[in-house]
Amino acid sequence: MNHILVIEDEILIQQSLKKLIERKGFKVDVSASGKLAINLILSNNYDRIICDLMLQDISGFDVIEESKKKYTTEDISKKFVIMTAYNSPQVLSKASTYQCTLLNKPFDNLDEAIRLMTELK
Amino acid sequence: MENRPHPNYQTSSSNLAIHLDDDIISDLAANSIDLTHLKISPIETANIRFLKKQGRLWVQYEDGHFCDFPYYLKNILSTLESFQQKPNPRSDELTFTTNFIKTVENIQKKVFSNIALRPEQNVKDLWDEIMKKVMAISADSHSLNHLVEKILQIPFLQNFESSFLLVHLKGQTKVALIGSTLGNEKISRFIEVKDFNTFYHSVKKSKHKSFSTNDFLKLDLPFNGSFLAKEIVSKKYSLIAMVSRQDFLGYSLEEIELFEICIDLLEPHFERLIDQEFSDKKISELRLCLKDFPLPIKVCDAQTGVSFMNDLYQNELQDKDIFFNKKIYNNYSIDLYDSDELRHYAFDLFHFQRVSLLGELLNTLRHELSNPLFGLKLGTQIFSTLEVSADDKMIMQEIEKNVNRCQQIIENFSNLYQIQAENKPHSIKKMIDESLLLAKSEIRDVTKEILFEPGTEEIELQIPVLFIVQILFNLLVNAAQAMRSQSERGIIKLIVKRELDQLNIFLQDNGPGIPDDKIGQIFKPFFTTKTQGTGLGLVLSRNLAQKLDGNLEYISSQPNKGACFKLSLPIK
Repeated sequence: MNHILVIEDEILIQQSLKKLIERKGFKVDVSASGKLAINLILSNNYDRIICDLMLQDISGFDVIEESKKKYTTEDISKKFVIMTAYNSPQVLSKASTYQCTLLNKPFDNLDEAIRLMTELK
Repeated sequence: MENRPHPNYQTSSSNLAIHLDDDIISDLAANSIDLTHLKISPIETANIRFLKKQGRLWVQYEDGHFCDFPYYLKNILSTLESFQQKPNPRSDELTFTTNFIKTVENIQKKVFSNIALRPEQNVKDLWDEIMKKVMAISADSHSLNHLVEKILQIPFLQNFESSFLLVHLKGQTKVALIGSTLGNEKISRFIEVKDFNTFYHSVKKSKHKSFSTNDFLKLDLPFNGSFLAKEIVSKKYSLIAMVSRQDFLGYSLEEIELFEICIDLLEPHFERLIDQEFSDKKISELRLCLKDFPLPIKVCDAQTGVSFMNDLYQNELQDKDIFFNKKIYNNYSIDLYDSDELRHYAFDLFHFQRVSLLGELLNTLRHELSNPLFGLKLGTQIFSTLEVSADDKMIMQEIEKNVNRCQQIIENFSNLYQIQAENKPHSIKKMIDESLLLAKSEIRDVTKEILFEPGTEEIELQIPVLFIVQILFNLLVNAAQAMRSQSERGIIKLIVKRELDQLNIFLQDNGPGIPDDKIGQIFKPFFTTKTQGTGLGLVLSRNLAQKLDGNLEYISSQPNKGACFKLSLPIK
């Protein structure tokens, strides 16, 4: 596990996460756009994809759906970490169908959040 | 056995072969009724058979179809009329038919003999009279009560003494019992649905429709002895009609049959009257609501003038006092008058609209600010681990603290304004802390003393935090403003006490207090002593407290000892 993709359109969050994860010794790619992220996912082999649900162009769910071209549902449940600030029951129940790690923004505990993002599931 | 006119009933001739069953023959022999002109045949060769079944007289045609006697008689009489209208009636045919009718009437009379007939009255008359009477009473009954009484005028029910109806409108929690006994004693009361249902099922299942009041003591029916009952059900109601002679004798099958037929005939009229009375009831309930409406109301009809005014309406109210006028229906218009009460309610309403709007706004704000604030927080955390100068590090820590504060404020506010989602209980301490936090800048120069009587600190109340916070916030700000100009340092004491099922929060200050002559006005809308005040704070606070089944009162204190308010809340 060494290559991580962070998909987040809020640049301050995106860059901060990039720095925090890089400090743990990982290689980090970033994308503020969902469509760009799909291209990156299809052309690289990421060990972990950290994806915000609310992006400017498409939703995080769309990114995950597109990734099904390359990954099995089991891969997705292990590779993806979903970040969300809007905990409506609909969003939470949809997110839970992918069975991947779910992080609520803002993080209650930053160190714990970074650990979940970088550890193998 | 269904009533069906036989296609050949008009072909009666002198060759008509009649069969009478043994019961009838012995009945007739006992009454020495002449049968000589009739050709009595064995059952196999007869064209028409008279049979006594279930105590009633039936006519059976050759093809096996049955017809009950009153119906048959009607047909045979019209046949006779058509014979008589023929240009050259055959005399033997006429004689035969007339005799035949006379005989069958006698037969019928015999079979019906246990029904009270007046002298010179025959069964056909009785039948017609029943029909006529049913039509007549249903046509001139304008209320259910009236119709129930009139049922006793139906000929065969004339020696009955009581007539009652049990009416259950679907969805109502009570069943109405209405009716009267012969002494004209009118009765109208209610019984439980549960008891009615038990009774209804007994009536529905019963073949004889005859009962005894002893079997239904729970209903406490207003008569004693045996009675007849018949049920009717429709989409809107279930109904049981009951008649009684108030004795303990049984009823003949004819009486039962006739009673059932009458009630069936009356069914559409029950329906009509129930409909009418039900809508009347709705209107009277509506009138009652308007009568007690807490504001002066006048309803005008453009043609006839005032058609309704409620208790609060007074004649000295002028047109200029009309606060609200609306055309409601055809020529009607409704006027709502300006009053202290109206202002009270209207501002309450405006206030709630404002609060819910604010709630929506805050929710949006929280969503929109949460991401950028989170970004800021993450950004500062990066710097906290970097080797930077102590000064820079402190700036970063301050940024982080401020971000946390922003997040906290937004969180508090949006929790506060979520009125609907308030089903979980909160401790009174939490509500007081929340209020103090909100009023922080107003009360910063004031000493706060909070005293919980032992055991009250953790009492949880299942009421909207917002309401309490708003009340306390108002009181805190009022107290702080009242003490602003005094030289002595302001002190606000919050004392929480429990009194049985009531939690009392006393808010005491050491300001100038409220002059005696103003105490009566402080809870009136728009009363204010402040130049910038709206005069709504205390009104709204008291309204909120009362909405929570509590209250807000001013506790008079000694002069120059400051003001004291008591907020009482129920502990559920």
